[in-house]
Amino acid sequence: MAVRRDRVRLTVLLGPVSLFLGICFVGPLVVMIIYSLLEPGLYGGVEWNFYHWSYGRILGWADGEWEDFDWVYAEIFLRSARLAFINVLITLALCYPAALWVRGLPRRWRLFIVFLITLPFFISLVVRLFAWVLILRPTGFLNSSLLGLGLIEEPFDIIFTETAVLIGMAYVLLPFMFLPVYASVEKLDHSLFEASSDLGASSIQTFFRVTVPLTLPGIAAGSVLVFIPSLGNFIVPDLLGGAKVLMIGNLIEQQFLSARNWPFGAVLSVMMMAIMFLLILIYLRRIGRMQTRP
Amino acid sequence: MKLRLARRLFGAYGVLFLVFVYAPIVMIVAFSFNSNPINMMVWSGFTFDWYWTILGYPTELNEDTLYVESTDQLLAAVKNSLIVAAFTTTISTVLGTMTALALFRYRFRAQRFYQGLLYMPMVMPDIVLGIALLVFFVSIGMSLGLYSIIIGHCTFLISYVFVVVSARLAGMDNTLEEASADLGANEWVTFRRVTLPHIAPGVVGGALLAFIISMDDLVITYFIAGVDSTTLPLFIYGMLRRGVKPEINAIATLMLLFTFIIASLGLYLRRRS
Repeated sequence: MAVRRDRVRLTVLLGPVSLFLGICFVGPLVVMIIYSLLEPGLYGGVEWNFYHWSYGRILGWADGEWEDFDWVYAEIFLRSARLAFINVLITLALCYPAALWVRGLPRRWRLFIVFLITLPFFISLVVRLFAWVLILRPTGFLNSSLLGLGLIEEPFDIIFTETAVLIGMAYVLLPFMFLPVYASVEKLDHSLFEASSDLGASSIQTFFRVTVPLTLPGIAAGSVLVFIPSLGNFIVPDLLGGAKVLMIGNLIEQQFLSARNWPFGAVLSVMMMAIMFLLILIYLRRIGRMQTRP
Repeated sequence: MKLRLARRLFGAYGVLFLVFVYAPIVMIVAFSFNSNPINMMVWSGFTFDWYWTILGYPTELNEDTLYVESTDQLLAAVKNSLIVAAFTTTISTVLGTMTALALFRYRFRAQRFYQGLLYMPMVMPDIVLGIALLVFFVSIGMSLGLYSIIIGHCTFLISYVFVVVSARLAGMDNTLEEASADLGANEWVTFRRVTLPHIAPGVVGGALLAFIISMDDLVITYFIAGVDSTTLPLFIYGMLRRGVKPEINAIATLMLLFTFIIASLGLYLRRRS
């Protein structure tokens, strides 16, 4: 009797959300996968015929004809992966010392500083990037200050370069690295450091042999959380990279809004989703196992 | 000795880190009060004129310039954003809280599946979700507009509310509910008098989070907004693509103020509970 009542309650509680996410979240993903296997329509949209060459196009061939071999898409893919990877390194290098710093602060300060560091996450993406446009453009803050200080003779180009994209992405994704890294740094037991130095380890040895291995789960989580949105970013390269630094995100956007090859855009999105699943799977396998170990 | 030096170095780095995070934001606020209409980088006096400009009032600064961006469009965008945020906050708060309660209270076979399903929209790259929703709406023949944006935002905001409320539930003492039942309260009364007051800060926190993310979302909205359902972030993005104008500083500053108010409210609630 009680079991049945529980079941009714569970259905009432979970029914609406199942229905909603089933239709409006899983549904769209399924439709996108179907679209990736359809023939592109002439003026956007699709023809309902099975067509798998959109997948081949990423590697450079269209319609199965090797003569159209073009590395451009593979190149864009590789560039995105490279920039996303560099961005992981940058955010890690910035956030790890900051996390150690916050850990050493008096308790009452910590919550407030963590709040300050994560607050920009809630500030509109477009506002944060606007700030960097103002800083980096030729007549912008950076160039004006350097000119004013007499450090450079004439403004140098930094906007619309990979450097600008990396700065913007690192700035935007900082909280995603900071929070998981800080969560694992905060848990470090101080007696471990003492033990390490008592046993004669130098502070550098302690850092690499004790601190880093123990915070690896946080580093890994932060890396996944930064890598995925970096890879698919299209607003940052659009505003700070211009036409020169094209990333997968821009390519996907173009397929839907200007090139009007929806199946190809869907293929690129499916690939992104596949990479995401792969990374999360690796993360769960490796880190999940690490955390269950005593 | 060495330790103190290390500590100082960390302290200096920490300050630099915060400067890196906040300098760009402070800069926008400062520029929004700069009365130089030609070059933002040169300070030529304090003015509120950019704020008057975006509200559509003629000022000394824009009399002879072409800076006036249509205020009607801006206000319409603000209105759209508020409508979308109000609806998505309500829907995702109710559904997210229900899901959190269900997964916390009951043990069932599909539990891990549901957990995975709820985490997925949060790690999914925005662009993938945006594209999937666009393709979905087009294929079922739904026209793009405020409805499609509301649905789109709910798909990932339910997860955020779910996470916040779940965290609150995890810290709850089971014996309270048992005590309530022992004292003869039925389950509904127990829920209303014990469970709900306990999770209320989590629910409000989740709602604030959903509201703020909905107001700020650019990427997903970009793909599923219709012609006349431009939201505030989309409007600014459009302005920015056409060129940098001083009055964007004023709009951005007002958005910053709004964000700070909501975030401080959230922090205050967390402190109090």
